Amino acid sequence: MATSIPSLAIPGQRLGSANTYAAGPGTHVQQANIFASIAGPVILDPAQPNTQSKATLRVSRVLSAAAQSSPTTASAKSKPRYNTLPAVDSIVLARVTRVQKRQAAVSILVVLDETSAPDADLAKASSDNDNIASILTSAANPENHSSTDELRFQAIIRKEDVRAVEKDRVVMEDMFRVGDIVRGCVLSLGDQTSYYLTTARNDLGVVMARSETGNMIIPLPIASMASGQYALPSDWLEHEDALGSSELHADSSRAATAVALAPNILSVV
Amino acid sequence: MSNQRQASSASQTPHLSPAELSYLYTSLSLPKSPIRPDGRSPTQFRPLTAESNILPGTNGSARIGFADGTQAIVGVKAEVEKTVLSTDTLASGEGGESTAATSGHGSWVQMSIEIPGFRDDDALPVFLSEMMRESLVGAVVEGGDGGGDVMMAGGLKGRLVINKRWHWRLYIDVLLLSQPLSYPLPLLSLTTHLALLSTKLPKLKSQGEEDPFFDDDWEVAEYLYPRGSKLKATSGLASQYVRPPVTLLVVSVGENVIFDPSREEIAVADAVLAISVTRDTEAGNLKLLSIRTIDPPSRLTQPAVPNSENVNMLGATAPTEDIAVLNPATGEEEVPGVWRPRRGGVKRSVIANMIKTVLKKGGVGEEVLEGLEGVEVE
Amino acid sequence: MNDRRRVNGPPGGTRPPVYASLLQSGTGADIRAQRQRQPTDLRKIFLKTGLIPSASGSSYLEFEPSASLAAARSNPKSLIPPSSALKLACTVHGPKPLPRSAPFSPNLVLTTHVKYAPFAARKRKGHVRDSSERDLGVHLETALRGAIIAERWPKSGLDITVTILEAEDDRWWGDVPDSHDASWGMMNVLAGCISAASAAIADAHIDCLDLVSGGVAALVSDDSTDSSSALPKLMLDTDPAEHRSIVSACVVAYMPARDEITELWLKGDSSKVSTADGDERSGHEALIDGAVDAARGAHTVLAEAVRESLQKALGQS
Repeated sequence: MATSIPSLAIPGQRLGSANTYAAGPGTHVQQANIFASIAGPVILDPAQPNTQSKATLRVSRVLSAAAQSSPTTASAKSKPRYNTLPAVDSIVLARVTRVQKRQAAVSILVVLDETSAPDADLAKASSDNDNIASILTSAANPENHSSTDELRFQAIIRKEDVRAVEKDRVVMEDMFRVGDIVRGCVLSLGDQTSYYLTTARNDLGVVMARSETGNMIIPLPIASMASGQYALPSDWLEHEDALGSSELHADSSRAATAVALAPNILSVV
Repeated sequence: MSNQRQASSASQTPHLSPAELSYLYTSLSLPKSPIRPDGRSPTQFRPLTAESNILPGTNGSARIGFADGTQAIVGVKAEVEKTVLSTDTLASGEGGESTAATSGHGSWVQMSIEIPGFRDDDALPVFLSEMMRESLVGAVVEGGDGGGDVMMAGGLKGRLVINKRWHWRLYIDVLLLSQPLSYPLPLLSLTTHLALLSTKLPKLKSQGEEDPFFDDDWEVAEYLYPRGSKLKATSGLASQYVRPPVTLLVVSVGENVIFDPSREEIAVADAVLAISVTRDTEAGNLKLLSIRTIDPPSRLTQPAVPNSENVNMLGATAPTEDIAVLNPATGEEEVPGVWRPRRGGVKRSVIANMIKTVLKKGGVGEEVLEGLEGVEVE
Repeated sequence: MNDRRRVNGPPGGTRPPVYASLLQSGTGADIRAQRQRQPTDLRKIFLKTGLIPSASGSSYLEFEPSASLAAARSNPKSLIPPSSALKLACTVHGPKPLPRSAPFSPNLVLTTHVKYAPFAARKRKGHVRDSSERDLGVHLETALRGAIIAERWPKSGLDITVTILEAEDDRWWGDVPDSHDASWGMMNVLAGCISAASAAIADAHIDCLDLVSGGVAALVSDDSTDSSSALPKLMLDTDPAEHRSIVSACVVAYMPARDEITELWLKGDSSKVSTADGDERSGHEALIDGAVDAARGAHTVLAEAVRESLQKALGQS
């Protein structure tokens, strides 16, 4: 049965009968047959043992061999993803473009793949934007700020969605500054222009920032990041180019949204 | 904004709910006897008022108003212009064959369409004018053996030739007087046809290769499309004469073929074709000049959610109510009564069926041409 | 304001001089391009995807030069090439957010631009898109919209840009534009645009029902002897430069997996056709079927190109 399934598919190629399999992402059903709708490797997700569902045929967008060989356990519990657009509950990295009293406007840089667990190596997190490290560095560079915003999806973080506690005392200017990189979760597809993001979770918040003088701020100490703890306000230090006479960050309250993230993100800067 | 305009059909999409779309589709796709929202038969056109020769400053003009209030005015103007002699024409002239004398050039006919709310370089006006122009200049008559049709040898383009060095340039300006309520093609095409039928060119007094000069008596001016006397026209010999083409908008819904669709009917169509036909002077029947597909707006509609997937209806309906069945026209599995935007194309058999309905003897195409002829005779 | 101080060249551009005697002489017949393929033979197509790294999907398509053009290139007899071969590049940008002013759309909003490079045709094209380019854009949009699965990409837009580097001629350059003249070359260009855009969309991983491919067929009356009894013949993938007179032509965008046409553009008088005995099809039916056959041929190239780039991408990672 499984032998008749081709390993690679191109759009319009017949993959199997809809009576035998269920159609997953990257496929469509026509006249009771499952056809591929994108080009990519065909993956057969076995049926859930305790249900009566059929095995799911899907075509993967991911072309790297590593991502395919590892069985995607997460796909079973999450909804199937038909596209690479931000969807409700996707984790995104976004750059702050405007800070207002009631909300902050951000532009989404990367949609992180849900199938990779949050603690997994982020560099492997795959999306259409293959090189996260280079995207982040270029986005953090103030010179690139204006050019590509038209091509990115815009989102809004409302004041109420910044943190889970003390919502009424949030001061947006202290939370975000233009150019900060934020890790957020999509609340809703929003209106015709913007998505809505939230940072009110432990693993969400500002992950990369520059001080007023333009120097990179890095969370300290490294050990606390690696163990996944929160960065305390005093942990955000300004990183001087030269020998690094480190000084405390001026806005200590900004760190309330700051989150220590996997070190490999920060190591690229 | 410009993004939406780009889509030739998107601007025509009425805001109908998925439920309304599904209702329309179901009633229009009833086998053999579709029920149209306005009660017309599938081949029936909307009532219209037409008059020609309304603008004294033009060589020919017409106005058509649909009952829904949309009106179009077409003015045709002709100018004498010097033919640019290219090396090519010179060469063929030396060869003894005077091909240039009978064949004109497509660029001698200029067409512009103005639709309120659209810039004249938007996709819709450009697409419409190209579509109507190509059938107009494409209509070529073989030889001159259709009684009294020597003048029309080479079609409209050939008619525009005065002599080797001079020709007529024809400007056809189409004006839609209000925002279109439905796809404006049928209205524009019928009005253009009527205006061309009424177009007269001054009688030529010069001969041969002389610089042309004309009789200034408008009474003796000749029709651009030669026509018979009233008597002949009514006795059925009108088919002897070359007539401008007419472009019909045809949609298919399910197995049905529907003419002159209203905006709501286009919104649920599986396929939309613009078919240009004219009368074949030799065989006396209709012949096909051009076909273009038009993007059906049904592809851009909002989908409906079947009860089985609707969170709000959870447990409210028995699961057996939502059984997807195969729609034979689209090949998609659908839950009856639940609207799905169309996707994919058209089967060849559907296209063939649509063309056949237009071309068949005594069919809609002939009916329309006869109707337009009738306007002129009175 | 004209520059009066110097002698300017003619404003309209120049063409190398052609002497009437050259066209009339015995060699004139030789330099006219002749179709050397069978009526059902297609030209070879070169198609490659993913050549433009900054776009999310891209493709490059080239038609095989006709035999006479290949001969003229290796051994030029005249300054003017006898025919031209289609070359075009297609880029796909997106999915990207819709412009702020655009209304909400539950589907992928497709935007197509077709542009001739200024040097693409024998006559220079301006940088502003003219009506024929806009017309091609609408045709291409219709062809592609039927193939993509738009509801999988809500609230986003897709820009498809085709740049034509070398266009097909509308007729042999030495011919008088006669009563049958029309922009036949445009139809070949459209067929190329459809196939190339389809490959670029697959390269961008946008969901589509099938690889939609373009094909052209034409009714051609090639007999130099003016026998009116000779009926036009059906030819696939016609190069207009190789024929004396094209009576009608048809281009389709076709999806073989579903046997469906998403775009049909037929023009010209297709009422007369010489068909094989027992072939009851009317002219336009034969024409449409011919164009579908040509599109099937293009589809095999398209599928191979997409598969090849897929395998290459898998091999690299």
